Amino acid sequence: MQPIVQCKNLTHYYGKRCIYENLNFEIPKGRILGLLGKNGTGKTTTINILNGYLKPRSGECLMFGENSSNLSPETKQKVGLLIEGHVQYPFMNIHEIEKYYSAFYPQWKKEAYWELMKLLKIDPKQKLSQMSCGQKSQVALGLILAQDPELLILDDFSMGLDPGYRVLFVDYLSEYARAEGKTVFVTSHIIQDMERLIDDCMIMDYGSILFQKPVAELLQSFKRFRFSGNGQIFEDIKQVIHPVTIKGNTEFYSFEKKDELARILTYTGFNPTDIKEESLSLEEAFIGLTGKY
Amino acid sequence: MEKALLYKEWKKTRLFTLGIAAVGIILLGYIMLKMGRSFRMVGMEHLWDVVVNRKQFLFRSLKYFPIAAALCLGMAQYFPEVIQKRIKLSLHLPLPERKVILLMYGYGLGILLGIYLLQLVGLLVFSTINFPYEFTSSTLKTIAPWYMAGIITYLFVAMVCLEPVWKRRAFNGLLGIAIVYLFFLSDVPSAYQPVLYILLVTLIAVFPFGFLSVQRFKEGTQD
Repeated sequence: MQPIVQCKNLTHYYGKRCIYENLNFEIPKGRILGLLGKNGTGKTTTINILNGYLKPRSGECLMFGENSSNLSPETKQKVGLLIEGHVQYPFMNIHEIEKYYSAFYPQWKKEAYWELMKLLKIDPKQKLSQMSCGQKSQVALGLILAQDPELLILDDFSMGLDPGYRVLFVDYLSEYARAEGKTVFVTSHIIQDMERLIDDCMIMDYGSILFQKPVAELLQSFKRFRFSGNGQIFEDIKQVIHPVTIKGNTEFYSFEKKDELARILTYTGFNPTDIKEESLSLEEAFIGLTGKY
Repeated sequence: MEKALLYKEWKKTRLFTLGIAAVGIILLGYIMLKMGRSFRMVGMEHLWDVVVNRKQFLFRSLKYFPIAAALCLGMAQYFPEVIQKRIKLSLHLPLPERKVILLMYGYGLGILLGIYLLQLVGLLVFSTINFPYEFTSSTLKTIAPWYMAGIITYLFVAMVCLEPVWKRRAFNGLLGIAIVYLFFLSDVPSAYQPVLYILLVTLIAVFPFGFLSVQRFKEGTQD
């Protein structure tokens, strides 16, 4: 089956600063893919390229088989876009904005929008400019749900939201996407929210993709290890990721199993006896892969 | 779809549109009252002397209204699109991007031309009733560059607002001011008559400039 999104050999620079080189990834139909990365690793850049708001230095992105720099109206109709900060028109109220967007999408499902609006305690004539960030996020989400697109692209959906609205957003989106078999591409800097939402994760570091696999596979294979002693000597062992020693206690991360790791460490002349293996949350795994700094 | 896009433009600019129209009508009323007072106080012969021998223009109060109106309407229409890069929302609509921009242009120019037309019709009726044909014809030729400057101002406001790079924005703004200045070099009645067609060509040449800004925005050009 052809993937919904295909990015091939994407390279982009801002001036002389390299964002990434030869980035390749795909989003299969019906999957929820989360793009995780520290600030400045190119998450929004990727979303801008995908939506045709940025021309990459080289390479191309295809959405539904069309080059993203020149999407046809038919393809745009299939893509729901949430811009960072839940940007919408502040001079409209919830009735006006629903009426406005409904004219562009023949499959418009206004019930989906109004169901979500009922949860907001707002005056129907209240303009978006007078709403809180959380309320605006629900309006933006409601509009995307009513559009009923095949692909949803959400850029940093948790930005500015309090925990209640973040949970509401994730629950609604997750339930909708899974029930309707939608494909979702999402970024967020709050990884706890992503863990509850996404099927697959793509972790970006400066200049490249570190990891792209199902979240379950990451959490099953990637562990943290702790022991008493100095772990500085591990820095040359490729299976040991980001070792840090603080006050004689060392922690590091690895995709290797504990036994295999013990064998490798013994082979290098180091024989820690008290290695403890710990399972990780997605946020901890993210920090383990990208480092704390 | 087109109707919905025009509805959005109306929602965004209606207060400014109504305000500009009201100011235009009030300004016209002020000119008429001022003229009527002059008719009574100094007589038509004196006014005729002022127009013919001293080459003074009686409707000079209108001079900067067209560009002020264009500036206000352009800012009201395009500035909200620049904040948080909201223009992305319009460009993501399932319509060809060129059509979206053309509709936005069309809305603004339509409103502006409507207000200008309202004012011009009032002025022409007043002039035709009180002055001979030659005077009315000269009035039209005198004010035409001011209204053309208004349309050019609107096009430049769109271009400057939609431009993503500040340096280029400043350059475009200065270019706009320089071009608009060319339309205000002389107050002498009918001074621009021989070059009116050049002004018209300038106006048409400026029309596609805004598309260049949108193209640069689409390519992600940054400071």
